[in-house]
Amino acid sequence: MKKSLMTTALASAFALTAGLAQAEGKLNIYNWGNYTNPKMIEAFEAKYDIDVTLDGYDSNETMLAKVKEGNSGYDIVVPGDYMVAIMIEEGLLAETNPNAMENFGNVDPKWVDVYWDPGRKYSVPYQWGTTSFTVDTEVFKGDIHTLKLLFEPPAELQGRINMLNDMNDVINAGLRYLDYPRCNSDPEQLKAVMELLVNAKAHWRTMDYATIEKLTSRDVDLSQNWNGAAMRARADRPTLSYAYPKEGFTGWMDNVAVLRGAPNMENAKLFLNFMMEPENAALTSNFARYANGIKGSEEFMEPEMLSAPEIVMPADAPAPDFVPPCSQEVVDLYNKIWTRLKQ
Amino acid sequence: MARRSTKPRELRRQPLFTWVSWCVLGVLYAPIAVLILFSFNDNRAVMSWTEFSLRWYGAALENEGIRNAAVVSFKVAAIATTAATIIATMAALATSRGPGYPGRSAAIALINQPLMIPEIVTAVATLAFFSILRQVTGWTGLGWLILAHTVFCIPFAYMPIRARLADMPDTFEIAAADLYATPWQCFRHVTLPLLMPGVLAGAMLAFVVSLDDVIITLMIAGPGETTLPIYILGQIRRGVTPEVNAVSTILIAITVLMIAAMFTLQKKRP
Repeated sequence: MKKSLMTTALASAFALTAGLAQAEGKLNIYNWGNYTNPKMIEAFEAKYDIDVTLDGYDSNETMLAKVKEGNSGYDIVVPGDYMVAIMIEEGLLAETNPNAMENFGNVDPKWVDVYWDPGRKYSVPYQWGTTSFTVDTEVFKGDIHTLKLLFEPPAELQGRINMLNDMNDVINAGLRYLDYPRCNSDPEQLKAVMELLVNAKAHWRTMDYATIEKLTSRDVDLSQNWNGAAMRARADRPTLSYAYPKEGFTGWMDNVAVLRGAPNMENAKLFLNFMMEPENAALTSNFARYANGIKGSEEFMEPEMLSAPEIVMPADAPAPDFVPPCSQEVVDLYNKIWTRLKQ
Repeated sequence: MARRSTKPRELRRQPLFTWVSWCVLGVLYAPIAVLILFSFNDNRAVMSWTEFSLRWYGAALENEGIRNAAVVSFKVAAIATTAATIIATMAALATSRGPGYPGRSAAIALINQPLMIPEIVTAVATLAFFSILRQVTGWTGLGWLILAHTVFCIPFAYMPIRARLADMPDTFEIAAADLYATPWQCFRHVTLPLLMPGVLAGAMLAFVVSLDDVIITLMIAGPGETTLPIYILGQIRRGVTPEVNAVSTILIAITVLMIAAMFTLQKKRP
């Protein structure tokens, strides 16, 4: 008797706190922090009479840790490219078949057969960008479109360089400069990469994620950078220019996907379809400042986004290189290089 | 007694004592001072100062995400603090009053367990455990987060209450019992009033700990249960705006006020 009373009390306590959440038509979104346009959410709520709850995370790994155990309560997540591959493999995403949805025709064909979700059975494009570097063209007046500036910098850039504090971004740039394949476990090639990085490090001032601050405070004149951050830094320091190195550069894409066992599965599918509408994709781009992979969205995008060389790639630039997750063996080798480099 | 009171003076006379103290305080508080200073900066860039302004406080208050997070934070902290303080008071009485019993020190160790185990271990374990419970019971909502907060708040509330009890001679309680007070009357009219400063200090400590928690909350919080620290964490990768400085400054102000109040209450002697 006592026990059942306790259970009832507990249950009603939970029901009380959950009471607000009983409204009809709900959708729980878990996206990167400060990455969702509130106007886009409002438009979705108004169109379908659905109440949206939005929470933010700081990394793919945080999100994975939280949803992996199941019953997180979320419907929608926005994993990066390699994370989509991992989540599909672990059976965490629902096969919602966005490729059969009404708006799928709007997806730019080059974003359909991607390595992380071939044919788009689980996810739709959210935002995509590139990871390359920004140079002050007042300081260095030569051709900026080469990784040589990072690894064998000219005199005026020596000691004026910031690299991202990111193992994969730094090592992949080194592999591209030496024209070696990605996810590399060849000991000779990795030795060469390590030598290249250790020698280049003598010319690097810092290794830091805060690229905008580093550039706008004039602490450095060159920084490895994401294209959206490069655009924001240029707003403060107009002589900055974003490089599309001929040796290649990293591409990344965040994707909207539905969790397996999502409590509001039908609404989540509506959201996937909604995100493939050009107007809504443009709302996201105007807020997050990256390109979206939806055809026709240009029409609704802010003019400064359309003319930004960081967002609109020049026709002669090489295609961005999307690097799949490497095997554990490769990751262990990379870790060794990274530890040596950071000593 | 006399010897004890001269000891700190001797330490203060050590060469470089003042200099070292200022250095330590500087390293500890300079980053926070910079953060607070720049929350009043009328400029989007976090690094360069233009002029004094309250616009980021305005922006923070208008931001729906921040407002919701603040409501969740205070709701969780208030309920978890109340529950944890009641449990901690009962635990403190059970572990420091009355005759000893086998397993008493084990009980104390168990109560203080959340202080000993690394938070990330508790977080991961609770995540898995709650996931199963959610599956079995079908209950969702803020209750889980409040439950988790209550558990790690208990030792923080327990310590000052137990310290206060240890300082309190049990002669008053014995006198009350001699005068035929029932155990409840004795607790209600003698023990509790004397214990109150300790209880309040424990409650405030628990409140601050709940308000500031990141790791366990990050793992447990469900949809719409983002607290202020989790909201701030989510902003970091996409660039910190002075709005976050403003929110952080408000959080620091609340924390400092609570800690100051706690010390004042603890100093009060019966």
